[in-house]
Amino acid sequence: MKLDPVTLEIIGNKLGALTEEMCLTLQRTSRSLYVKETADFCCALAGPDGRFTAYPRGIGVSGFVGLDVRTAVEHVGPLEPGDVIITNDPYTSGGLATHLPDIQLIEPYFHEGEIAGYGWAFIHCSDIGGRVPSSLAPTNHEIYQEGLRIPPVKLVRAGEPSRDIAALLAANSRTPEANDGDLRAMLAALRTGRERLARVIERHGAAEVAAAHTDLVEYTAQKARAALAGLRDGTYRFTDYLDDDAVSSVPVRISVAATLDRGALHLDFTGTDPQVAAAFNIASHGRAHAWITTRVLALICTLDPAIPLNGGLIRPVTVTAPEGSVVNASAPAAVGIRHATASRVNDALGGALGLAAPEVMPAASSGLVVPVVVAENAPGGGQNVQVLEPMVGGTGAREGADGVDGRDSGISNLANNPVETVETEIGAEIVRYALRPDSGGPGRWRGGCGLELVFRILGDDCRLLARGLERMRFRPWGAASGGPGVPAELVVNEGGDDERRHQKIDMVTLRRGDTVTLRTSGAGGYGDPWTRDPEAVLDDVRRGLVTERAAARDYGVAITTGADGRPAPDGPATTELRRTPPPATPGAGPERAAWDTVHSTEAADRLVAALFGLPAAGRYARRAAIHTAVLAELPEGFPSTARTAPASEAQLTAARTVLARLTAELEAETRRSEAPVQALSSK
Amino acid sequence: MSADPAGPVAPTAATPRARVGIDVGGTFTDFVLALPGDPRGLLHHKEPSTPDDPARAVADGIAAVLGRAGLDAGDLASITHGTTIGLNAIIQRRGARIALVVTEGYRDILEIGRSRMPSSFDLHAAKEEPLVPRDRIVEIPARLGPDGRPVRTPSDAELARVAEELAATGAEAAAVLVLHGHTDPAFEAEVTARLGALLPQMPLTSSAAIWPEVREFERALVTCLNVYIQPLMRRYFDRLETLLDGLGVTAPVYIAASNGGSLSLRSAVERPIETVLSGPAAGVTAATRLGRAAGISRLVTFDMGGTSSDIAVAVDGEPEFATHTTIGGLPLILPVVAVSAIGAGGGSVVRADEHGVLKVGPESAGAAPGPVAYGRGGTRPTVTDCYLHTGVIDPATFLGGRMTLDARAAARALGEVATGLGFGSGSGSGSGASGTGADTGTSTGADRAADGALRVATAGMAVELQKTLAGRGLDPAEFTLVPFGGAGPTHAAVLAEEVGIREIVVPPTAATFCALGAVGADLRRDFARSLRRELDDASIATLDTVLTGLEEQARGWLAGQGPAAGAPELSLAADMSYRGQAYELRVPLPAPLTQDALREAFHTEHERLYGFRDTDAAISLGTARLAISSAGPEIVPAATPVGARTEPPVPAGHRTVLLAGRRVTAEVHRREALRPGQSLPGPAVIEQDDTTVLVPPEWTAGVDPLGNLRLTRS
Repeated sequence: MKLDPVTLEIIGNKLGALTEEMCLTLQRTSRSLYVKETADFCCALAGPDGRFTAYPRGIGVSGFVGLDVRTAVEHVGPLEPGDVIITNDPYTSGGLATHLPDIQLIEPYFHEGEIAGYGWAFIHCSDIGGRVPSSLAPTNHEIYQEGLRIPPVKLVRAGEPSRDIAALLAANSRTPEANDGDLRAMLAALRTGRERLARVIERHGAAEVAAAHTDLVEYTAQKARAALAGLRDGTYRFTDYLDDDAVSSVPVRISVAATLDRGALHLDFTGTDPQVAAAFNIASHGRAHAWITTRVLALICTLDPAIPLNGGLIRPVTVTAPEGSVVNASAPAAVGIRHATASRVNDALGGALGLAAPEVMPAASSGLVVPVVVAENAPGGGQNVQVLEPMVGGTGAREGADGVDGRDSGISNLANNPVETVETEIGAEIVRYALRPDSGGPGRWRGGCGLELVFRILGDDCRLLARGLERMRFRPWGAASGGPGVPAELVVNEGGDDERRHQKIDMVTLRRGDTVTLRTSGAGGYGDPWTRDPEAVLDDVRRGLVTERAAARDYGVAITTGADGRPAPDGPATTELRRTPPPATPGAGPERAAWDTVHSTEAADRLVAALFGLPAAGRYARRAAIHTAVLAELPEGFPSTARTAPASEAQLTAARTVLARLTAELEAETRRSEAPVQALSSK
Repeated sequence: MSADPAGPVAPTAATPRARVGIDVGGTFTDFVLALPGDPRGLLHHKEPSTPDDPARAVADGIAAVLGRAGLDAGDLASITHGTTIGLNAIIQRRGARIALVVTEGYRDILEIGRSRMPSSFDLHAAKEEPLVPRDRIVEIPARLGPDGRPVRTPSDAELARVAEELAATGAEAAAVLVLHGHTDPAFEAEVTARLGALLPQMPLTSSAAIWPEVREFERALVTCLNVYIQPLMRRYFDRLETLLDGLGVTAPVYIAASNGGSLSLRSAVERPIETVLSGPAAGVTAATRLGRAAGISRLVTFDMGGTSSDIAVAVDGEPEFATHTTIGGLPLILPVVAVSAIGAGGGSVVRADEHGVLKVGPESAGAAPGPVAYGRGGTRPTVTDCYLHTGVIDPATFLGGRMTLDARAAARALGEVATGLGFGSGSGSGSGASGTGADTGTSTGADRAADGALRVATAGMAVELQKTLAGRGLDPAEFTLVPFGGAGPTHAAVLAEEVGIREIVVPPTAATFCALGAVGADLRRDFARSLRRELDDASIATLDTVLTGLEEQARGWLAGQGPAAGAPELSLAADMSYRGQAYELRVPLPAPLTQDALREAFHTEHERLYGFRDTDAAISLGTARLAISSAGPEIVPAATPVGARTEPPVPAGHRTVLLAGRRVTAEVHRREALRPGQSLPGPAVIEQDDTTVLVPPEWTAGVDPLGNLRLTRS
């Protein structure tokens, strides 16, 4: 490193604070819902090479620290002082934008005619046009349905705002004024960054600041490598599934092989399904992109909490992500709900890294973020659309600690809404907003509980939306002999004559008096539940998070009623219960186990590889056709019904046979086509 | 233990007149005795704290300070007292065993909270420990609608069941929260009373009685916090009264509040949650007073303690308030003086990390083991050790010579850090005060480490200060820095230099500044009531009714505060927004209160902050706010050395000080020898018994007529 250890620390501090000050300026001048309530924005400083060299801590979205502005800047061409670039397009911005509502601004900061760095700001705006209000819907299948695509262009040219661009933006959004406010707030933040950087250069000199850009990234990269080097070297493979893609009931496979080698980490996503005709795709450009590395960054920061946040975090990480897969989607794939896929990628990464660092990594978290939205007809015409609560679950258990109940910041750290304000805004009575007992995966350490939201509709003609529903079929997995969490469920009028159980919904119409119950999945447990301290089980029973029945069934702990009327331990009965080994429960649950009996790792790998042999346009339909044919051999509802109505051996064999046959046919077909296409899939 | 000129004073008038301000800290309990009409002005005293029985140090100190003043208990007009007992109980979760009674379906209100985790990038993050565990939370079928109409009212049988469950929790006391309870406090009060009748031995507190603001989680929490610390605080106050009775003190006792004011002992027993952040708030109160007296309109306080440093802002004689603070990981919605932590303190540890980069904090050596130089077992050097090593602090005169410092040990420890930084291992001292004497012109590794650590600490604080002010849209260059605490004045000038502040005012008794704030605190209490309706004639009428009710409540409260309650001052505001906006602005209410005037006031404020007004939009009226205060007694300034002079002061000596990598020869002055009108140029060090003031090159120090030290950058 070029700088001395005092100067590096001082300039590092100043640049980090500069980005936080940019965020504060944005926050103070913004009037956007996404900024004020959910903190869906960020600012940072990039060095002349486009990588973030300073990133805010504790404010804004943490996950984008590994992105860079280079592609967007190169796309625009030569820059001059006073220029500001705007883009929201995941494809032409090189993955800087990750879905269209995230509007990005970039300003080159000049010093004596040279670019001394770039300021960056983004806000998730209220609406960028497209098929539905707020622009996001899981069933969109092309990016064109998701709103206005803005390739990197100059919003401001040498200090002169472009009226043409402004007019175009305004004409393509349902909320032009709010968007305009967002742009103003971002421009103010960029101005703050420019002034602060000038001051740092004035104080320390351009040469030292330039050296700091390099040194800071290098310093963080060294620390990140040191953190990863503490893990066991080797290659670790893990696969997980999205329940389905919302437009079909076919699960979406996420596969990762993580190779650790003396502090370097390679992630190979080969074996991950082709991109889907729905909004679950991630435009990673095949790089170590934010949405396919979040868990890695979280692991590094957990191992080294003091690590300065910048692009160096991601430097030890390389990626193989097959082009045209759901984790490296090609244009014009829809990407609006990419966070649901990122959730599952997180789980796959967590599973793989957990094999390398079982004492550090937790079991799967509940793995879903569901904004529960109710729309009602407004009195004066139009619609009143409100988020009741953003529903998450808990975090996975780990060696030495239970998971967190009812909170999870794995994908985003959203605040919920006070019920007292929600009920003022919309005709719904929130009957219950609580932890969901017995939902956390059993283990020596218990997985975090999911949540339960019950609400009654007070008006006529309401619509329910719940994008992000997941883990309704495949449970959050337990680790090291820990059990899985309980799956999520959505029920209308539970227990009534007209009870309706839903899977993923696009939109459901509700009548006055209908009661909606959403239960989010529990997180995975860690370690053999039979070894859980009976006192800890007793405490869970006393607090009502584990029932007495589940204590006996899942933990082998007998609970009785004490002299004071409270639950008390029953030592002898517990000893007796624990004499019998626990029932063998697969760590990912019976549904996943059933699925895997048909789709073994080898069979699934073969199918995915064969699909990638097809031209991109044909993969999705072919995959659906094969899965449909295989499922036809299995009981209705497979694999969700694995526990209640398991498939017979004959059915399973038939399904395997069909899968093998169709895969072989596909392989034969693709062998006939050109070799280069196949090379892509095994890269 | 004081630099004040002691001397006999003739006990004079029959009316009691002396006032005592007290600040209970972890190590020392500080006292300020204000003596109106007495040339000595203020007396200061420090008494070692007695954490196992904090009231003892308070009583002993009062006796001691009265003795020094030659007064007896009957001469006391009032005692005002800041305390961190409640805060510590919350942070350490040492409060009472309490229960919570909450609307059916909301048993997990504390577990879910606002749903956020303390960190999003930490796989091992845990959420805060809830104040009330789930098995002591009891659900009740009582609920209001958002419009205040009862949705469910519990039957007698249901109440009996709730009472039974509540009794079974074995709790000492309980809080009661009914959903939407703030819309009709009487409903919740009645439910609470009916339940209380079944459980006469268990004190119950209704949330709407504590703070009737919308947001069920925060309201539940503020109520639980109050109930949680109440028994502990009551025991403390009882004990204090007993001890004071023993001394023959009959003067009323006031407790400093987190809003910078104070309240009667009885009020504090009822609402102890009002006192939890009183310590830092009292310091800001003192600074605000100082600012008013000295004609400073915009000031930033800087309180450098052992583990961290705090800042607060006061503009035009009023401190800034916050309604979203955090204590012990829990949000607090009561209005409190906005105090922000900005990083390192005197005890922050200096080290080289594994990659050879210099780090200051966040670990702190605290009071024990403390800095290496204290010789109490500390082995890792701290910011204080750096000040010693660079010669800013003189080991012979530190704290008036009451504490000896081991400069060699500090140098050795810094030498080890230097090795880790690749600076070489030399541990010799570059300062004139503690070692080599003559400037050899070569810096040792320890010198570079100490100097570097101070620069890192300063840069860290500066960026935090800059950020805190920027978050409020303020520019530090327009502010005057008011440092206090033991280390604040030492670090003030380098911090000011870094953020572009050009003026510093060091009060005469920086180390007992919080106690001084307490002695002059106004009586003050805040009231709020959420309305949440559209602004129209009907809601204006409702607002008027609500305000009348709040005012009545406030005046009743003030009247009950005892003899010191003077003429009340009311300030009224409302939180407002354009309909559909997610954020509210606080707007002072115009008088007379009409719909048009309020509308215009909101548009104007919105335009000021966001640059536009939306005259077509409907306006929502959120929470009505009322603060009542009654001015505290005029506090005489500290006695200042009489006789202004203009000739340059004669230094008591010189020493070499290492400043920003350069060795300079600094004049050494005694604070008590400086006269108003005199000024001296930096580099200089001004020593007083409770702190050391560093005057860097380019700065000039002078004494103003009030006895404050004023540092200005040339």
